[in-house]
Amino acid sequence: MDLFPVWLSLRVSLTATALTLVAGVPLAWLLARRRFPGRNLLEAAVVLPLVLPPTVLGYYLLVAVGSRGPVGRALAAVGLELAFTWGAAVLAACVGSIALVIKSAQAGFETVDQQLEQAARTLGRSEWSVFWRVTLPLAWRSVLAGTVLAFCRALGEFGITLMVAGNIPGRTQTLPLAIYDRVQAAEMGEANALALIAVGIVVVLLFGLSRLARLRY
Amino acid sequence: MRRPLLGSLALAWLALGPGPAAAAAAPSLTVFAAADLAFAFKDIAPRFENATGARVTLVFGSTGNFAHQIRQGGPADVFFAADRSFVDALVAERVLLRETRTLYARGRIVLATATAFGPKLTELRSLLDSRIRHVAIANPAHAPYGRAAEEALRKAGVWEAVRPKLVYGENVRHTLQFMQTGAVDAAIIALSIASVPEVEWVLIDPGLHAPLDQAAAVTRRSPRPELGLAFIQFVNGPEGRPIMKRHGFLLPGEF
Repeated sequence: MDLFPVWLSLRVSLTATALTLVAGVPLAWLLARRRFPGRNLLEAAVVLPLVLPPTVLGYYLLVAVGSRGPVGRALAAVGLELAFTWGAAVLAACVGSIALVIKSAQAGFETVDQQLEQAARTLGRSEWSVFWRVTLPLAWRSVLAGTVLAFCRALGEFGITLMVAGNIPGRTQTLPLAIYDRVQAAEMGEANALALIAVGIVVVLLFGLSRLARLRY
Repeated sequence: MRRPLLGSLALAWLALGPGPAAAAAAPSLTVFAAADLAFAFKDIAPRFENATGARVTLVFGSTGNFAHQIRQGGPADVFFAADRSFVDALVAERVLLRETRTLYARGRIVLATATAFGPKLTELRSLLDSRIRHVAIANPAHAPYGRAAEEALRKAGVWEAVRPKLVYGENVRHTLQFMQTGAVDAAIIALSIASVPEVEWVLIDPGLHAPLDQAAAVTRRSPRPELGLAFIQFVNGPEGRPIMKRHGFLLPGEF
């Protein structure tokens, strides 16, 4: 059995999870702690990927990053191609999962007592330091929960990936696409094996994380 | 505080590095093919590989999706559509090479009955039978075989009556799946995929629908157009034709 989709999916969903953390946590903090014009609009835009059907979202993304799209042409100008590469699968996974990081982390930040942050400020801590030393340590469970959800969503991403990355065996065929393909071809044995691997990855990850969480705290 | 977690993620990422890159390096001919070709092309592709030494990557899916992707620079060398209109549109947009456009088959539709249901249905009118609860067809809005199914049902005068029973598949293979899982009692599907144990079928009179002419062409972006054209000619040639015929396609020169 060809295990390429397993490695590709692990790589794609780990990369996507890292990117959604880097982009999502600051956004979550912004939504939880700052009032600015357009805040409500941003809050609505953040959950849009959960509302739109994935294949439709994938179509819009493809129009944007495809060789005729504005983003695609800009990338081509510097010699890069995103559509139909594993990078496109990462993009698809990020778009599909970032809302989960943002909403979980935002809820976590909102429950942190702002008086504690004030206290840190009166003791001369910078905003940066307040975030890392007070806010994040108190909200880390929510951030972790969002990260786990995002990883699982990224690992299972199907519809957006099918459109922007294609379903190309050996190049962009991720685990969910491979399972779908096997089911379509009535190769149920391989489909079941791949599905078991997907479930196994998530079980091992969740088990490991809960061990880690208990160990440290 | 979360350093061990981040560290292990980074390590895992690095460890996964070589996989995708290594596989992407090998050159191959990538064929985007309509879902109804799945069984036939899995027979044909290995023969083409033996004959030419080229490696063929088959990608099966919806003709409509593929058309969008190829328009946006999708990495196909050859596109086999389930309906010539998609190929003709892309030729007009200069995305496909006009000189490579070839009719390769004409599709047939069949009235399929789930073997679990009981007596084999022999005419479209029998779909009105109250024991038939669900009938699957491919989505007529974008799937060529679904459009042909709708036309045939309309021409037979049973469309309005059968409509409440209809279940739409995303493409013709998905429609077949509704039958194989026992979710529907009957379906209208492509002859090319109908020969599976869970299904009995009869041909539907081709006069009831517009011909399902299927065309293929090489993409303009393909770095090896001659190899793509060779594959189209192989499907249409002495090795490919008997296989296509066995899978229920009418062939160029026969219709």
